[in-house]
Amino acid sequence: MKKYQLGEFEEVVMLTVGVLYNEAYGVSIKKEIETRLSRKVSVGALQSALKRLESKGYLKSREGESTQERAGRPKRYFTITAYGKNALEYTRSTRNELWDAIPKVALGLKIVG
Amino acid sequence: MKKTNPSPPKFFLRFFRWFCHPEMKNYIEGDLMELYDDRLKELGKRKAYRRFIMDVLWLIRPGIVRPIDELNQLNDYNMFRNYIKIGIRNILKYQVFSFINITGLGVGMACCILITLYVEDELSYDRYHKNLNGIYRVLHVHNHSETIVDVWGNAPVGPALLADFPEIQSVFQFTSPPTLLFEYGDKRFQENNMVFADSTAFEIFSWKLVAGDSKNALKSPNSIVLTQTSARKYFGEDDPIGELLNVDQEVTFLVTGVMEDVPSNSHFSFDGLISMTTYRDWQQEIFDNWGYVDFYTYFLIDDHAAIEALEGKIPDFINRHLPDWDYTIAFEPLTDAYLHSEAGRQPGITGSLSNVYIFSSIAIFVLLIACINFINLSTARSIERAKEVGIRKVSGAQQYSLIYQFLSESILVSLLAGLLAIVLIVVVLPMVQELSGKSLPYNLLLSWRLTPLIMGGVVLIGVLAGSYPAWILARYRPAQVLKGVIKSTSGRFNVRKGLVVFQFSLSMILIVGTTVVFSQMKYLRTHGLGFNQEQMLIVDFGWDNRVQQHIESIKAVYHNHPSVHSVAASRAVPGNFLPNAYTGIESQKEEMIFNAPAIYEIDADFISNYEIEIRAGRAFSKDFPADSTQSLLLNEAAVRLYGYVNPEEIIGKNFSQWGRKGTVIGVVKDFNYKSLHIKVEPLTLRMADERGFRNLSMRVKSDNLLATIAELERLWEQLVPQRPFLYSFLDDTFDSQYQADIRFGRIFGVFAGLAIFIACLGLFGLTTYSTGQRRKEIGIRKVLGASLTSIVALLSKDFIKLFLLAMLIAVPVSWYAMDHWLDNFAYKVGIGIEIFVVAGLVSIVTALATVSWQSIKAALGNPVNALKNE
Repeated sequence: MKKYQLGEFEEVVMLTVGVLYNEAYGVSIKKEIETRLSRKVSVGALQSALKRLESKGYLKSREGESTQERAGRPKRYFTITAYGKNALEYTRSTRNELWDAIPKVALGLKIVG
Repeated sequence: MKKTNPSPPKFFLRFFRWFCHPEMKNYIEGDLMELYDDRLKELGKRKAYRRFIMDVLWLIRPGIVRPIDELNQLNDYNMFRNYIKIGIRNILKYQVFSFINITGLGVGMACCILITLYVEDELSYDRYHKNLNGIYRVLHVHNHSETIVDVWGNAPVGPALLADFPEIQSVFQFTSPPTLLFEYGDKRFQENNMVFADSTAFEIFSWKLVAGDSKNALKSPNSIVLTQTSARKYFGEDDPIGELLNVDQEVTFLVTGVMEDVPSNSHFSFDGLISMTTYRDWQQEIFDNWGYVDFYTYFLIDDHAAIEALEGKIPDFINRHLPDWDYTIAFEPLTDAYLHSEAGRQPGITGSLSNVYIFSSIAIFVLLIACINFINLSTARSIERAKEVGIRKVSGAQQYSLIYQFLSESILVSLLAGLLAIVLIVVVLPMVQELSGKSLPYNLLLSWRLTPLIMGGVVLIGVLAGSYPAWILARYRPAQVLKGVIKSTSGRFNVRKGLVVFQFSLSMILIVGTTVVFSQMKYLRTHGLGFNQEQMLIVDFGWDNRVQQHIESIKAVYHNHPSVHSVAASRAVPGNFLPNAYTGIESQKEEMIFNAPAIYEIDADFISNYEIEIRAGRAFSKDFPADSTQSLLLNEAAVRLYGYVNPEEIIGKNFSQWGRKGTVIGVVKDFNYKSLHIKVEPLTLRMADERGFRNLSMRVKSDNLLATIAELERLWEQLVPQRPFLYSFLDDTFDSQYQADIRFGRIFGVFAGLAIFIACLGLFGLTTYSTGQRRKEIGIRKVLGASLTSIVALLSKDFIKLFLLAMLIAVPVSWYAMDHWLDNFAYKVGIGIEIFVVAGLVSIVTALATVSWQSIKAALGNPVNALKNE
């Protein structure tokens, strides 16, 4: 059994990268997360997370074009690797297992289906 | 269409560019700019600015900030192993140079460490006392014709201080050692180092009492506390407490305690403490006499008291007790006693602060010379490593990693030198102990403070000495070097030359210093003392009254012995300690002036025995029976002290001294009754009364000294069976005053020799190197017909020039330093030209010898070998 270390924020970032598919770079990821999750994301936290994810092998990056708005600096586009996909799936399935294991009484939920 | 946008805060942008990891810099900056742009459109300039700044600040994170060291950890370790490997290979490949470097540095380090041990010991005197900072002693200041400050003084000042100054916790007084004959069973010794002491001894000082009660051991009269060595002398391993010692055959002392021997780093020491109450019984009157001397007074103040407050009260104190005297007291802290005290009449031998400074400077000099050698040799040889540097650079080494490599090599050499130093020290330590007169045990080296200091020092030396060569090496440009063109710029050469000059001047200074010291010592030993000290046998019989009663008949018996030329008796002999006496002499204005000159108590034969010259009037004589109570002799210095210019005028003037009144009958020429360190001080001479004799002085004229001594001893055993025949020769004991100086001279000489040795090592290395460089040139010259001498001259020429320059520097510096040192002596040699000539010749000869060895070898070589590879 492989162990995938994925923090909460990192997971969010990875998922957003997936959402943006080939358009995922620093600013776009930041805006997407802020819009979807209504939470503030600092550039520093985001860049740190991206770097960590890349060094763990969950993301890969490529150089993009430079534009006038970026003062001539290039963009760095991120995409999810196969390994990263496994990590996400693992995380998702373990979360689901945990959900299923909760007795109905603890959450006071009506049983669905 | 849009005009150029206003740019984000420049400062923070620059700041970001500085701290960001170069890998990520570009695109993060791009992100920042894009965000700034967007915000500018949405939120306006101020908000955009602020958000930008926040972003930058929140970007200061460990993952984003660039690393401080650029090398990867893993890479570092491997490279280090490579450096060590190459370093060792280099050391082994150029064995001669490595040997020179390691030996030079090792010797320098050993010197340094040894001198550190010595200096530490000197600085550690008296530090073992727990109450160190609260202990002070009383200095007695006499303002007669000149101000005299002495450590010893009167007895009443002690109890008076204790009563008048509430800040003083306790007072401890002790006397100078009397001479007492101790007997226990069959063991009989004349003790010269037992002092009378107050019972507060162990309260103030931290001497350890091994047996006995520290509070009461010295309370009752006739009690004595022995040191362990003394106890062992009389009682072996038995317990001496409660035993009785016979003293001077009249009194008995009860042993009430045994203490550890006084540590060697104390400014005074003794073999035993006799209770002061004993002395009080013997001589009650001196305890109330403010005019008497013989007491050393120490006291301990309260923790919170300040000595300045007490010092302020001194004038009142003096007024209260002695308003009419030209006398006052001063306080000196115990911490100053050994090295910083300038008072006279010290209870023990003082160390010399200037010696400490001199030796420290020597240590630093020697080490400096060794380091300079190292630097010189390494830079000279740097050309050999040039190809290696070129290849490393081409392979991608950065400048600082090359520096790192060469520094590690020099640290390696330094460590090896350190090892050598330790070996040298272990071997040489016994000799050093003898040379310095200190016991420097091995475990001092292993002390907590010293070992890390030494390790650190070794590494530091490696770094310091290695940094310049490392820097030079690392700067080689690979293109030039690999092509084979290497310039030895004359700029670099000048630094090396400068270093050689410096080394040689240092060495010459040390040689001059040694020569001056030795000639001063010789001068002291041979300088006319104003009396004849040849073959003068001194017999010390303590104050034995039976001898004193029969002194004249004993003298007569000895005088009859064929080998004895003349005999005299006195209290002290030249070189001994002698007391001062409060003396009043009538001045030219017919009033009595009082001073406290030294006093010799002698008999009628003393002056003629010692062949002291009479300057005016006459000596004591048996023809004038009144001499024994009414006559006084002065020396020329005393005459001047009392205000007379012409000695003839003082003859017949009245005097008053120690209970006697009379007239001055004669003046003797100044003679050096103490060492030549001091000018002759004023001296009075009187005829001793019966109880004043302690020493017999016999001038012996014999070819077979040993036999004569044996005969004289036999005579003694018949005449004075109760005392041992304690004899010594005056010239020996007189010379022992110069022991400290002789020792100093020897140590200085040793270090001068070492400095020269190291300097020559360096010179040898440099010559070897430069002749190696010029092999081809020498080969060609030989082929063209140059003679051996011309080649040697050519090679030596450079060094001779440097040499002369060194002399130019060394001469004034050493002259100044030696002049300063000679001021320690009242009688000194002049620093003549010949000393510098000698020093210069010695240095030149050694340098030439070194240089020429290599030069001759090179000049004799077969030119074919040198030119083969063209």
